[in-house]
Amino acid sequence: MDSLAVGIDSFDKVVGGIPMHRNYLLNGSKESGKDLFAYHLTLSALANKVGVIYITSSKSASDLLSSFSLRNINISQYLGNSLKIVDNFIRNIQPDAKDNAYTRVLNGPLDLTGLAVAVSSLNSDFIKDGKTTINIFDSVSSLLLSNNSNTIFRFLQFICGKSKISGVTSLFLIDSDMHPPDINETIKSLMDGVINLKLENGVRYFTFTGTEKEVLNWTQL
Amino acid sequence: MEDNIFGIAKLDGDLNGIPENKIVIFAASPSVGNEVFGYQMIYSNIIKNKKVLLLLNRASPSAYINDMKDYDFTTNNNLTILDAYSNVTLITPEKADNIKVIQNPSDKDELMNTLSAEISNGYDILVVDSLSLLVDTFGFDYASSLIDMIASKANGRLSSAIMFTEWNYDQKDLNSLYSKANATIQIRGIEKRVIFGQYFAVIKCDWVKEGSFSSALFKVLRPGGIKLYIPKILVTGPTNAGKSSFIHSSCKNAVSVDRLGGTIALDHGTLDFQGYIADMFGTPGQERFDPLLKMLGGEAIGVILVVDATDETGFPRAIEMLRKTETYGLPIVIVANKYDLKGALKLDKIKEKLHLGESVPIVPTVAEDLSKIDPNEPTKLKEEGVNQALSILFSLLKVKV
Repeated sequence: MDSLAVGIDSFDKVVGGIPMHRNYLLNGSKESGKDLFAYHLTLSALANKVGVIYITSSKSASDLLSSFSLRNINISQYLGNSLKIVDNFIRNIQPDAKDNAYTRVLNGPLDLTGLAVAVSSLNSDFIKDGKTTINIFDSVSSLLLSNNSNTIFRFLQFICGKSKISGVTSLFLIDSDMHPPDINETIKSLMDGVINLKLENGVRYFTFTGTEKEVLNWTQL
Repeated sequence: MEDNIFGIAKLDGDLNGIPENKIVIFAASPSVGNEVFGYQMIYSNIIKNKKVLLLLNRASPSAYINDMKDYDFTTNNNLTILDAYSNVTLITPEKADNIKVIQNPSDKDELMNTLSAEISNGYDILVVDSLSLLVDTFGFDYASSLIDMIASKANGRLSSAIMFTEWNYDQKDLNSLYSKANATIQIRGIEKRVIFGQYFAVIKCDWVKEGSFSSALFKVLRPGGIKLYIPKILVTGPTNAGKSSFIHSSCKNAVSVDRLGGTIALDHGTLDFQGYIADMFGTPGQERFDPLLKMLGGEAIGVILVVDATDETGFPRAIEMLRKTETYGLPIVIVANKYDLKGALKLDKIKEKLHLGESVPIVPTVAEDLSKIDPNEPTKLKEEGVNQALSILFSLLKVKV
């Protein structure tokens, strides 16, 4: 599979889906539509038999599933099979939370080793099953809240390198307003492509840079 | 008083445990992790009544203890946790006798002084999980001074294990940090697109002679923890000698491809023994399946040769099977099965007739209960003989793996 439709008509019509086996930053302020973009991509991937590892560090796995439901995006049939959730949040409020059939529970944003090990191991499981795989990191911003920026750069460098070697596509969500420009720029430099989103006068727009299918002008999403 | 130990078979074997005053760094690649080494070391020592102090900044105490439980490592009052995690997160610190909370773990002096004061209360083992997080927060110089402080407070009693993740740090910084420790154990994945194996290697240890340790493959079982992994042990021998019986008596999950009780393709089981796990493969004994033998013997690193002690006519075939599986010369233990039956040859006689050399060990085995023998099922052998044969083979293998 060379590229995958995101499941948002306007984006797919202009870009023709995102090229696979690369690392992307999904960059936008609050309300810019990052969640919606990531959720549509998740559904589209699953419908196309692509395995998805959804790493949530800003909400629990159950809140994430509610969030999908609220947007009428139904992924329940894929849970535990092609969709695995890495819950890197719940132990912040419930330290004794345990894994279940579709969720790997981690210790929280400080345990980046645990996160790297879990993602490597889940990617290996999907690849051994012959599945094309996407990792969705939701979000880099929540990791940056608990760690210093150099720590996160090192972590992202490792994950991006590992994704490349493994042929996995990774999408990293970041709330651009939350971090100084130099941090945003350093993180962008680790990526193959950047999808920028914005909300203006009630309308969402995107740009897509860093790949052969660039969209440099703000285009309605 | 018993020595402080790692609780991991090969490390305790090669390094003779972890002596007092010694500091060991477990340096793991980020895709493999080292936390289970810490869990296993804590558990193995607290059950021996050793006092263990854990400086924890990677997870909350209850999350850590729950993770240990997943590996079947339950804790007791011999473990004291210095919680350097909760107060940098949203978690309300737990209140328990054996959990001591650092009020402001972001204050590097407070963290150092609290740890130093707690060590003075007298512990056998200190585990730090994790030093790389401290490096990320306070830098390499701080991490080095922390190791210096631990060394100065060891006081002839304390052994320390420090968990460290090797992110993309400067190699000079890593070398300088590792030079502070008495031993460094690297934990790595064998990986290309996927991780298909894990190993640890002692790259430095100042209390044993260089060359007395080597790398080892391992698997992490949940429950069970770290088990040294032996890729293949071959069980071979003539027809009806008891190969399937040996595998089914050694392994809980053994399966056989058989017809009317005779193995026609292979037996397989996963052996969990003395801190090791091994894949055991059994060959069919009948000559018509000989084309399979070379494949089944490939990559084996040890052999159990099963013979029927009452039937010396099968001995030439036993030797032929070693040749056909291309395992002649590997570490080997002869199992003289059916040794309690009438007509069984003495062990010396069997050895003599097999011509495998005086030094090759031989162990007798017998059926668990002769009244329960079903010709269509592998017969269970008595544990004593099976364990003795495996112990001897593993003692031969320990210098090889």
